[in-house]
Amino acid sequence: MKKRYSQLLASAASLFVLSLVTAGSASAQGAVPRAFDGHPDLNGVWQTIGTANWDLQDHPAAAGPVDTGAIGAIPPGQGVVVGNTIPYKPEALAQKQKNFENRWTDDPEIKCFMPGVPRATYLPHPFRIIQGDKKIMMVYGFAEANRTVHMDKANPERAPIDSWMGRSHGKWDGDTLVVDAEGFNGQSWFDRAGNYASYALQVQERYTPMGPNVIMYEATMTDPNTFTEPWTIRMPLYRRLDENAQVLEFKCVEYSEDLLYGHLRKVPTR
Amino acid sequence: MNRTGTFSIVAAAAVAVWVLPGAALAAEADYHHVHLTTSNATEATKWYTEYLDCQPLTDRDDGVDCFGTEVVFESRATLGSSQRTGIDHISFSYADLTAKMEELASVGVRGSGVRLQRFDDGSTLRDAPGLFKYGFIFDPWGTRIELVEDSDTLGFHHIHLSSTDPAATLQWYQERFGGEPAQLRGQLDGLRMGDVWLLVMRHAEGVPAATAGRAIDHIAFAVPSMGPAVGELKGANVEFLEQPGVPEGGRTSAQRAIVYGPDQVSVEVVEAGFAGVASTMEGVTDITTELRDYTAPRTPWGTPDFQGVWTGDAADGIPMERADDVGNAAILTPEQAAARRERGTLGSIWGYEAEWRDTTLGYVKSAPSRQVSMVVDPPDGRIPPMTAEGERLAAEERAARLPLPEGPEHLSSWVRCITRSLVPTPGVYNNGFQIMQGPNHVAMQVEMLHETRVIPTDGSPFVGSDIASWRGDARGHWDGDTLVVEIRNFNGKAPFQGSSDALTMTERYTRTGPDTLEYRFTIDDPKVFTRPWTGMFTYVRDEAQYELVEYACHEGNYGMTNILSGSRAKEAEASR
Repeated sequence: MKKRYSQLLASAASLFVLSLVTAGSASAQGAVPRAFDGHPDLNGVWQTIGTANWDLQDHPAAAGPVDTGAIGAIPPGQGVVVGNTIPYKPEALAQKQKNFENRWTDDPEIKCFMPGVPRATYLPHPFRIIQGDKKIMMVYGFAEANRTVHMDKANPERAPIDSWMGRSHGKWDGDTLVVDAEGFNGQSWFDRAGNYASYALQVQERYTPMGPNVIMYEATMTDPNTFTEPWTIRMPLYRRLDENAQVLEFKCVEYSEDLLYGHLRKVPTR
Repeated sequence: MNRTGTFSIVAAAAVAVWVLPGAALAAEADYHHVHLTTSNATEATKWYTEYLDCQPLTDRDDGVDCFGTEVVFESRATLGSSQRTGIDHISFSYADLTAKMEELASVGVRGSGVRLQRFDDGSTLRDAPGLFKYGFIFDPWGTRIELVEDSDTLGFHHIHLSSTDPAATLQWYQERFGGEPAQLRGQLDGLRMGDVWLLVMRHAEGVPAATAGRAIDHIAFAVPSMGPAVGELKGANVEFLEQPGVPEGGRTSAQRAIVYGPDQVSVEVVEAGFAGVASTMEGVTDITTELRDYTAPRTPWGTPDFQGVWTGDAADGIPMERADDVGNAAILTPEQAAARRERGTLGSIWGYEAEWRDTTLGYVKSAPSRQVSMVVDPPDGRIPPMTAEGERLAAEERAARLPLPEGPEHLSSWVRCITRSLVPTPGVYNNGFQIMQGPNHVAMQVEMLHETRVIPTDGSPFVGSDIASWRGDARGHWDGDTLVVEIRNFNGKAPFQGSSDALTMTERYTRTGPDTLEYRFTIDDPKVFTRPWTGMFTYVRDEAQYELVEYACHEGNYGMTNILSGSRAKEAEASR
């Protein structure tokens, strides 16, 4: 017990945290709940805490998009990218800068477009994992986005068409749920800072329970069109312990309509 | 003209054209028919009889005789229009084309109407100097039809192929099936086959699409006997799509073969006496109205298991309320159900090419439901009368409608890609419905607009009544093998049949067979309706061929931009 505890402390600052939490989490935080089949039971409402959706990388505080005083300001944040560097190819980095400059009109989030993967995970909205015997469904609290993770297809099938949320196949690696997602349309951004990838993006996510109420979330992005090498983000997902916690319907379309169509109103608003 | 062979065009969902005798073959081969693909041979027969003056065949119900040329219809899914395939169109000639086109234009495009193909300047007719007047229309299934005014040949006029090498193509047909090289009015190279011309134009761009499955599926030539004809075709290294033999469902013992002509045109060669293939559609029965004693399988945690991919395709066409023309019938006959589906298909066909439509007869494996109406309570199949307040709200809503939308909020929640309908009434496409279960939740994903409802079944309470939303807050519980879902907290902004924010909706899902899931919905809205009422339809499991796609609606809502900018343009025009 003592040994495990010291391992956990060490892991907090370690890049090897995942391999260690697998062994150490249960005793440190209570038992990982188990599903009918013995796998970890991930059912529940989950949410990240932090500023990854503002910028995956380290960022200082900054002014926000509108004159709403301190409410609209961008809080500072420590990045979630392992090593803090996203290995863009030079032309891709230029595109990222362009995205950043146009972020108050071009970010798919501002338009209420589906967020893609992995961004759906760390939007400032809760999401629900429903884990059954054949599939795992992730229902997000933004833009009606959802994913079906196929656990029951031995030979992963290619995505029939490209899409915002891609196609996901899952498997268990010990207590870690490993999800491979691909078949994206290349229009998603990773954050409000304009980080992005192409349609060739492949995401491997790892969901490792660290106890009953925390999942360590890790996603590795591979996209030879955009990056010189794969890179990884890592952050915890926290269970929403609020009484009767639910993912509420948040149909954001109507709040994007002025931005998108205001210039076409009879009395233009833009 | 040699009419020993029957010329036929099959127009059900694909067209086939039978061709005339070939050279060696040709000495005796005879252009036989054009074969069209339609979704309903009966409707196609009516259409060609009514609008193009063809006559129903006397001995069969799947074709028409168009001035000696047989047009045969095959009832199956069409892969799209004939235009830009290797058989671009067929043609009919009229003595007074202007009058004929006026007559067809007056039919309109609704239902099984006539679609005109206008030229760039908006006109429907052109005059080719030295040739004749001409124009184009489409039948409801996508067959492109040229109408000409050629007094030399009235009635069925020509079959127009499209080829990357017209001269070689003409030669190919002549060597195989005969015909007399000639020039139509001294201008167009072709083959004269009795009264009918086989013409070939140069394909405008790229290569023509294969004809198989398209609105004009093939052309057919009759030969006296199959043996020598096949020997000759094989000797010429012609590729066979279907080896010679009596086809399954063949009406006579006469053989046929299907070969590839130039430009991937399907060419059918039939033996004398060939009388087509009987439709196999009768084999598909409606499973949604079968009564069964069925116990649903269980999930590992013990609840009924509803998981899988279902579609509402079978229910497409069931009206909300009992239609006037079905009297007191408890259930439709299969023929009535097919006819009802076909009317719906034809009503939508002008807005959506065949590729978009999932519920064309014969395309989905489920037969159209025979259910009379969605409303089952009251038993008369009619939505109960509204309250005075309901009438007032409805009148208010009607009065608020604008001729032109001033902004997005004047359009429906469906057009805005917010939500479509509390009841996912099936339409012509994207009727997929996926259910996924965990021990304490059931997730139901409606494909159209990709809306997922998560239904807690763990006894948790509803959220506070101040949290109103478009689709409400749902809680479920198991009643035996039935999942009962109660939904409240509607914001009333997407009314269902006039419902208000006072609505409580109750859904009941019950598996009635291995592949059927009955869905009942009860609308209880005392503000609007004088009594609660219930409707239902049945989903059919379709794990094998159906996968929900991501219906990203708002992300590509060009319709919204176009509707609003069009409205602004109309206003500018009116104020000029």
